[in-house]
Amino acid sequence: MKGVNGAILEQIDALQARYVAALDAKNMNGWLDTFSENEDASYICTTAESVSANLPISLVLDDNRARLKDRVIYVTKIWSGIFADYNTRHFVQRTACQALEDGLYEVTTNYLVVNTPSENGRAELYSTGVYLDHIEITEHGARFRSKKVVTDTAVVERFMAYPI
Amino acid sequence: MHEGERPVIWPAKANHVPKDIFVREDVFEEELHRIFYGDEWLMVAHEAEIPNKGDFKTVKVGRVPLLITRDQDGEVNVFYNSCSHRGVQVETAPSGNKRSFSCPYHRWLFDTKGQLVGCPNKPGDFPETFDRKDFPLARPRMAMVYGLILVTFGKNTPPIDDYLEGLHEHIAEALGGDGRLRLLGYQKVILKANWKTYADNCTYHAGLLHTAFQMLDWQGGKGYQLANNRGHRVYVGELTFPKSVGRLNDPSLLEFRSGSDPKRGSVSVRLFPISGMTKHMDSMAIRFGNPLAVDLTEVHYTYFAHADDDEELVRHRVRQASNLLGPCGMVSMEDAAIFHRLHSGSNTPGDAVFLKGVTDEYVVPTTFAQNDESSNLPGWEHYRKLMGYEKGQT
Repeated sequence: MKGVNGAILEQIDALQARYVAALDAKNMNGWLDTFSENEDASYICTTAESVSANLPISLVLDDNRARLKDRVIYVTKIWSGIFADYNTRHFVQRTACQALEDGLYEVTTNYLVVNTPSENGRAELYSTGVYLDHIEITEHGARFRSKKVVTDTAVVERFMAYPI
Repeated sequence: MHEGERPVIWPAKANHVPKDIFVREDVFEEELHRIFYGDEWLMVAHEAEIPNKGDFKTVKVGRVPLLITRDQDGEVNVFYNSCSHRGVQVETAPSGNKRSFSCPYHRWLFDTKGQLVGCPNKPGDFPETFDRKDFPLARPRMAMVYGLILVTFGKNTPPIDDYLEGLHEHIAEALGGDGRLRLLGYQKVILKANWKTYADNCTYHAGLLHTAFQMLDWQGGKGYQLANNRGHRVYVGELTFPKSVGRLNDPSLLEFRSGSDPKRGSVSVRLFPISGMTKHMDSMAIRFGNPLAVDLTEVHYTYFAHADDDEELVRHRVRQASNLLGPCGMVSMEDAAIFHRLHSGSNTPGDAVFLKGVTDEYVVPTTFAQNDESSNLPGWEHYRKLMGYEKGQT
C-alpha cells in the first residue's frame, strides 16, 4: 500500500463495501452509483483462463457508462421475473493498492461469492477471483473508473444475472 | 436397458416425448453408448481455436478425453488423450502450445503428430519385438468441414458429407461464409439439466420467454426452419429492428456492421445430438455441449471473427457477442434458467407435448414455420429409433 495514506484507504474500502452491499441487496442503481460519471467508466467480467490465453471475449463487457446503465435495464426490466432468483453474499479482501496519476488508485482485491438459489435454499460457492480496479477519488468521494473482475471460476454455474 | 429397469415405452403420438428419458440414469448410460459413442459425428472444436503449430486443446466427449493438436506441419490431429502404454491421460491443460506431450507415469513422450518419440528403457526391459512405431497415440475417426473438427467413435458412421447432406451452405453461412475464422474467446457454463433438454431448446427459442426478443421484434415468424430425419435442424430468422432499440443507452449492442443481410440475420444449425453453430447479427459462435451426467451438461460458447475482418469489426464482434449471448447474455441469460426448470419438471409423470406447428398428432412433420416447435420432432423420432424404444399402441 506504498504511498497511500490511511484516509485514502478508508475511502477505497468504503467504496468496495458499498459495492458489495448494493449487489447483495440486488440494488442495481446502487451498483451503478459506485461507478464514475466519466463516459469511459467500465465494468468487465472475464475469466482467468481467457486472460492467460489473451482472448478478448468476456462474460460481461460494459466498457462505457452507457453500457453500465444498460446493465441496470437488463436486470431490472428485460430479465425481470423470468429467471429463478438467487441470493448472493460477496466477501472481499484488499491485497494491494498503489497511487497512479491524476487522483487514480490501482486496487487489487480478492473476492468470493456464495450463491443461494431461492428454490432450494442451499448455499454454494459461485465464483472466486480478483477485482482489478481503478478507483478515482474526487470531491464527490471514491468511485470506480474501471472494475475488471477476473474469475478463477472458468465455468459459470447455470447462469449469471447479477454482476459480481 | 439395464436388467431390472422399467422399459421405456414411447408414446404412440408423434408429438409426445416421455419425461422419464430426461431423468433416468440408466437411459443416460445407454445414450452414451448408443449415441455419443455410436454412429454420430460430434463437433469438438474449430481449427481456428488452434491456429499455430504446436497449439492444442483438450475436450471430453461423454467421458472420453480427447487431445486435439495442430502439428509441426500445420495439420489438425485428434487423439484419444491416453498414453499408448498404460492408458494415463497425457495432457490435462484445457489448451496451450507444446512441441511434445509427456506422460508423467513412465516419461513416454509423444510429438504433435502423436508419434512416440521417447520411452526411457534399458536393453532387456521390453520385449524384443518392441518398436516405438507401434505405439502412437490412438485416434478416433475425424473429419473437417469449414474448419469444424468432428469425430465419431462408431464403426458404421456414414461419411461426413452424407451425414451433413443439405446442411453445408447453412454451416458455411453461420461461419462467416467460408469457415476462415479467428478465435475471439469462450464463455463456458454448467447447466443443471439433461443434455437433451439443452439440445432440444438451444436453437428453438420460445419467443414468449425472451423479453428481449419481443423488444426487438424477433420471433416475428419471418424466416424458415428445416429439419431432417437424422435430427439435424436449421433455423433462419429475419431480424427486424424497431426505429429505436427500445430502452438501450448503447445501441451498438444490436448493430449490423459486417454487411450481412438482416433478412438472414439469425442462422443456427444444430446437429444431432448436441453440436451447434450460430450467427446472430455479427456474432459467430459454435456451441460445444457435453453430457456430464443425467442432470449435468457443460456448454462452451466459442466465438469467432472472420479472418479478413479489420480490427474495428473484430472489436465490434467482441463487444456484441460478450453481452448478447452466453450465460450472461442479454438475449440468452434466461435460457439456462429455463433449462433447469424444464429438467426439474421432467421428474413428474407423463409426456412433454409439442403443439405449435403440429397438424397430425400421429405423423412426424417434415415442414415447419420459422417459430414452430414441431421441428424438434424428426430428431425425437431419430432418437427413439437409435435407442430402440418401441412405440406404444394407440
